[in-house]
Parts: sequence; structure tokens; C-alpha cells
Amino acid sequence: MMLARAAENLYWMARYLERAENTARLINSTTHVLLDLPLGATFGWANLIEVAGLDERFQQLYVEADTDRPSPPSEEAIMRFLIEDSRNPSSIFSCVQYARENTRTLREMLPAEMWERINSLYLYVRDNAAGACRSRRERYMVLNHIIEQRHAIVGLVSGTMAHDTAYQIIKLGRNVERADMTTRILDLNSAVEFPKDGVLHEALMERIWMSTLNSLSAYQTYRQLISMHVCSRDVIDFLLHDMRFPRSVEHCLCEIESCAKLLPKSKQLQQLTAQLRHKIAQHHTSELDALALHEYLDHLQAELGEIHNALTQQYFHAYQDSATVHASTQAEIEFAQQ
Amino acid sequence: MELASSEYLANTAYDELLQPDLLPRAAAQPLFDYLDTLSPDELAARRQAVDATIMAMGITFTIYSESGNIDRAWPFDPIPRVMARSEWEQIQKGLKQRLAALNLFINDLYNEQRIIKDGVFPAEVLAGSGNFRPQCVGITPRFGVWAHICGTDLVRDRDGTVYVLEDNLRVPSGVSYMLENRQIMKRIFPEVFRTTNILPVDDYPTQLYQTLAALSPRTEGQPVIAVLTPGIYNSAYFEHSYLAQQMGAFLVEGSDLLVGSDDVVYMKSIDGLQQVDVIYRRIDDAFLDPEVFNPDSQLGVPGLMRAWRSGKVGIANAPGAGVADDKVVYAFVPQIIRYYLNEEPILANVPSYLCMVDEQRDYVLANLDKLVVKPANESGGYGMLIGPRATPEERAEFAALIRANPRNYMAQPTLDISTAPTLIDGRLAPRHLDLRPFVLQSDQFYATTGGLTRVALRQGSLVVNSSQGGGSKDTWIVEDGEQ
Repeated sequence: MMLARAAENLYWMARYLERAENTARLINSTTHVLLDLPLGATFGWANLIEVAGLDERFQQLYVEADTDRPSPPSEEAIMRFLIEDSRNPSSIFSCVQYARENTRTLREMLPAEMWERINSLYLYVRDNAAGACRSRRERYMVLNHIIEQRHAIVGLVSGTMAHDTAYQIIKLGRNVERADMTTRILDLNSAVEFPKDGVLHEALMERIWMSTLNSLSAYQTYRQLISMHVCSRDVIDFLLHDMRFPRSVEHCLCEIESCAKLLPKSKQLQQLTAQLRHKIAQHHTSELDALALHEYLDHLQAELGEIHNALTQQYFHAYQDSATVHASTQAEIEFAQQ
Repeated sequence: MELASSEYLANTAYDELLQPDLLPRAAAQPLFDYLDTLSPDELAARRQAVDATIMAMGITFTIYSESGNIDRAWPFDPIPRVMARSEWEQIQKGLKQRLAALNLFINDLYNEQRIIKDGVFPAEVLAGSGNFRPQCVGITPRFGVWAHICGTDLVRDRDGTVYVLEDNLRVPSGVSYMLENRQIMKRIFPEVFRTTNILPVDDYPTQLYQTLAALSPRTEGQPVIAVLTPGIYNSAYFEHSYLAQQMGAFLVEGSDLLVGSDDVVYMKSIDGLQQVDVIYRRIDDAFLDPEVFNPDSQLGVPGLMRAWRSGKVGIANAPGAGVADDKVVYAFVPQIIRYYLNEEPILANVPSYLCMVDEQRDYVLANLDKLVVKPANESGGYGMLIGPRATPEERAEFAALIRANPRNYMAQPTLDISTAPTLIDGRLAPRHLDLRPFVLQSDQFYATTGGLTRVALRQGSLVVNSSQGGGSKDTWIVEDGEQ
């Protein structure tokens, strides 16, 4: 038995933690590839923010707020926005902070050490985020440490928690977020522009796709399972469809489906997930050009959003109407009716 | 004592751990033997480890403000307060006796009111009580128990006598800190637990669970128990979630519950509505049920009183239990114990003078420079006169107030509250402290082994509240081999 409110908090806790880790990975692997880029290539940090769907917020907070700033914005500004800025709800600090706040309301459902682990992660990010924004070297260390601590949390959950409803909800949140992030990371490369030099272009593309794989810890697996040669068509196919790789979109959907099967009253959710999985399996991305791929990935994100909506309606906000009536005072109801 | 600060030379209070000659009391001897093995550097390192542990365990207060949430670490002093088992067992008996009598008293007030009819408790005191709930009249909860969880504040005076300062019968808090304090000590000073026979404290959550489970209206299967919290912005939220976790109970907010037309309380679960058997509420009476009490409350559950009255749910503490948590009622507790139990009180009450009684009022007016005067219906130290520290003008002003409204005032002698060695700048300095044990009653009694020791960290201060420079210590009840 689980409270609807607790289920929602648990789901979001898992999403926030996954998002924090993914952002850390993405920054680290992008830093890595930047070091290899020749002058003149415009692949840069701004792409990261665009892919995360945060460009408007960034513009608002960093560009418009300060007209003296050089354009394009500095690496440090972007790092501050992505890592430590609490005004960005998707910054690593915000994600960890929200995850901690949610955990606070869930302590009774989680393994006893869970709170301590997440609290320690929060304290670490709080104390080290500023340093990570200042220097690349420190950044790499701090982000890696965040990823490690997050792994310890996942290990704690899967190794010590009863694999009950709460566990399934955590897994659901993790996989919804992960699938979404994989589509966004794939999308990262659609915005790249290079100097018009054929040979250089191909070598660069390979670097960038390697970085994409790296950001998902997928490079080694890709080489083992697919090819030593990194090309866009194979990487896209691998990250969308390969059931053996735990961050591929299809694999995530499969996990969502199997979690849904173990939840009460989940027929609709199961159907929705299965449909989406079939649709993706049958869709061939190899013929798509960059723009069409971008549109397809956008579409996938919207479909994943539908799964999220279905979860919200079925479980989290199932009582919303009755809850509103019960929680509100007479005065408030009257106010609402005016 | 090598570590003792020079402040000890001027200490006139009873010290819990040190004799007047600054040698350890018998119960504290093993602790000091252990402290002697630690170099000043080592002690400082442990102190730092304590602070780091508290941060990692997230034992914090959260202060919410517009500029964000500020977490403050729970202020903890690593030098424990030590008491011999033989003394503690006597106190435990007194605590149980007191709670038993108070519960009989509350049940009597809401039913026959025999104690008033027999002239032992004045009707006008009840009439002036802010915590009497007319909505509870005629109800007898299971076992006749209203206050299932009581936090009793104890202090020790200069001559060594332990006094009850007050009985917290509404939503007493602090027990989670008692449990966490022991966890911290075990992590940072594991060696001393091998050389000293310290009684464990960690059965409290089990005892609390059993106390609550006994209130379940359903006898089959495991009862569904929920801890009802006002939410994450409440300063005691840490404790609410901690206790729910320790008991395997559900942590719920008012909006998670609803009362059906069948008078059953339900939880809104992802699997549909689920019946709740027992609610350990951590919100005040006034907010419990907007249908009956404060209609503007968003924290409570409409219909909860209806469900409780019809016996479909157990509530701890019962609504209305706070009637016995009152400064004037406090003065009557010795008579209450004699009246219901036909026993002499085991624990001492601080002598209290009720200004409504002529000869007691005369005594108060003649001795204002020696007494603390408290208004009956105020809490939190408002409107108090601390005679020895007041100016003659303030005393004259209070004398006029008392004469104008004698029923509203009671007075007590000032106590010289005991101290214990506390680590301040690397040395042990005397700091004043109190003790809050927690007492449980449903079909059985239970009292914690020790309790939460709160200590005023500022020199000379008597304020133990954590928001005002107070901290806490682990409380050790140690085996002393005496009966």
C-alpha cells in the first residue's frame, strides 16, 4: 500500500537523481571532446543548454540580465547555470536539493541509510559546486564524485530495498528520465556546425559521436557489440534500439513496461508503453537527415511525456478533485468560484 | 579533574557528574577513566567527528525563509549525562504513577467529574482552562487512556531532589533526538560502550508501536498506523518522519486522509482507499478537524472527530488530553495522585502557590523577590515575573496584577537547576540542564531509559531550547549494582 502523494515524491526523487547524474556525465564528456576540437568548430556549450531545453531560462538569467557579458556566453557562466544555479530547476544542485527534499518526506519507505546517502550527496554538491564551476580540473573530479555517489544510492536501492511497489516506482522514474535524456543527448549533435573541410568534418563527427557514447558510458559497449568504427547511423540505432544496452530508449521502455506490470491498475499504462515501444522498434532512423532526426527525437520526447502524464493521472493525482475539496476551507472554495 | 574549567570553582549548583570536590560521582567514574585516556587533540578530533556525523545524518533544524532554507545542525555536546540505574528506576516508577493518575483525571473530567464533586479539584480551575474540549465530553477512549505519550520535564535542585517541572501531554517532541544522540555516541566513542555498562535506549520505537497498535479498532491482522504531520515546514518534521520510519508506519498529511460516510478514516493510496486504524497525530487539537475545531484548518481531516467518537479509529494523544497540561492543574497533581491512586507521589512537584487561595496569595505577595510568578493560561514564558532578577518597580506592578486577578497567577520558588560538565573550548565547564523522559500508556506502561537531556550552552543560562542556544547530550543510565 502506498500513498498517492508518496508515490509522486518517490517518482520525482528518482527522476531528479537520474537527471543530476546525466547532467554530470554530459558536462564531463563534452569537456573531453572540446579539448580535441580545432579552432573554428562551433560545437560548444550553448548546444548543451539548448538540448536540455533550458536556453530560454539561460537567456533570461545570464544574457539579458547582463548586457555587458561577451557573446557567446563564457564557459564559466554556462557551468554555473548547469551545475550550481538554484534558479535553474534542472541544475545539478537543484536536482540534488529536490531529491533530498523529497527523500525527507519518504524516509519511512526507504532503506535507513538512504536519507544519509542523499543528504551527504547534497552537502557535497552544496560545498563543491562553486569550485566545480571555476576550473575544468576540479570540475571533472567533483562531477565524477557526484556520479559515484549516485551509483552508491542506486546500489543501495536495488541491493537492500524490498522490490515492492515503491521500488517499481523508483525504477519507473529513473527510466522515464533516462529515456528522455538519451533522446536529448542524441539531439545534441543535430546542431553542430563545422568548418567546410570534408576530411576534417568526418574525423570531427567521429569524435563527437564518441563523446555522445561516452556521456552515456556506452562507448565500450558499442565497440564490443557493434563496431570499432563510430558512425552516426550506427550510434543512433544503438542508442535508440539496442535492447542489450541499459540506456537505449527501447530498453528503458521495456523496463517501464515491466515495472507497470507490477503496479496496481496499470493496464492503460502498460498498453501505452507497449505501443510506443513497437512504434520505435519499427521506425528506421538511418535514412533521416539531421533535421528529420531532430524532429523525430522531439516527437519521442513528447511521447515519453504522455507516459509521464498517464502515470500522473493514474496514480499521483487520482484523488486530486476530492483532495482539493477536502483540503480547502469554505472560504477558499468560495473564492475559487468567484 | 584535569579537564575541569575554572568556572567550576564558582559553581553553586548540584553537578550531575562531579562531586563538590570535583571528583567524579560513582556512576560517572568509568566515563572519566575513559576521558583521561584521550589527549586534548584526540578529544578535539572526536568533537569534529561528532559535528560531521550530525551533518551527514541530517539531524538538523530547518529554518525556512524567503531567501531559501537554512539547515542548522542539531547542537550536541559529546559529554554524556550519567545517572545510576537505581536512581533512575525510582524516577521511572514516579513517571508511570504520575501518568496513570493524570489519565484517570482527564477521563474523570470528561465524564463524571467525581474529583470536582468531591471538592478536591475546584470547578473554577476547569472553567478557566483553555485546553478543555467540550466536544470530548462523554467519551471514554480505549483503556480510559487519553494521554498515551507524555514528555515530562525534570530538573534537579541544589540539594539533589529531582522535581517535575511540567507534563507535556499534547504533542511532546524530542524523542528522536534522544535516539539519534545515542547513535552519534556509538559511532564516535565506541570504546566507552565496552568499558561502561550503559543501558540501551533503542526499544522506544517498538514500545511506541505497541502502545499505538493496542488502540486499533480492528483486532485481525496488522493494524495500519499513520503518523499525522503538519508537513515538511514544521520544525519537528524530522522527528515525525523518523518515528514513522522506525515504526514502519505511514507518514501522512491531512490531505492524504479522508473520512467516509461510514465514519472510517481512509488513506489515499495508489491502490484505492485504504482503512487507517490508528493515528499518531503530531498536530494540535485546534487543527485536527475543521468540522469541529478551527474551521480554517488545512492541516486536519474533516470528520476525524466523528470517526474517533464512533470508535472507528484510535487517536494518540486523544483530542482534549491537553486539559491536564496546564500550569494551575500542575499544582494539583500531588492531590490528583492521592485521590485516584491512594498513593503518595513518588516524584516531587515544585511547591506551587495559587494566588486564588487567600493565605497562599499573602505568602506570594510577601515573597515576590524570591519567587517566579507565572500566569495560568500563558505558555512559552510569556508574562512571567522572575522575582530575584526583577526591579522593585516590576515587582510592585506584578503585585497589583495579582491582586486584580488572583485566579490567573501561580508562583514557585526559584530552583538552582543542576549542571553537568560540558565541552566548551576544550575544557569541561558546568552548564545547566534538564531531562525529558517519555512515558507511554495504553494497555501497558513504558518509560524511556533516561530521556532527552537538554543543556543551556551559554554560561549561566537556564534556557535549554535549541532555538535559543540550547543543545543536548546523550543520557546514560548505567548499571550500579544497587537495588
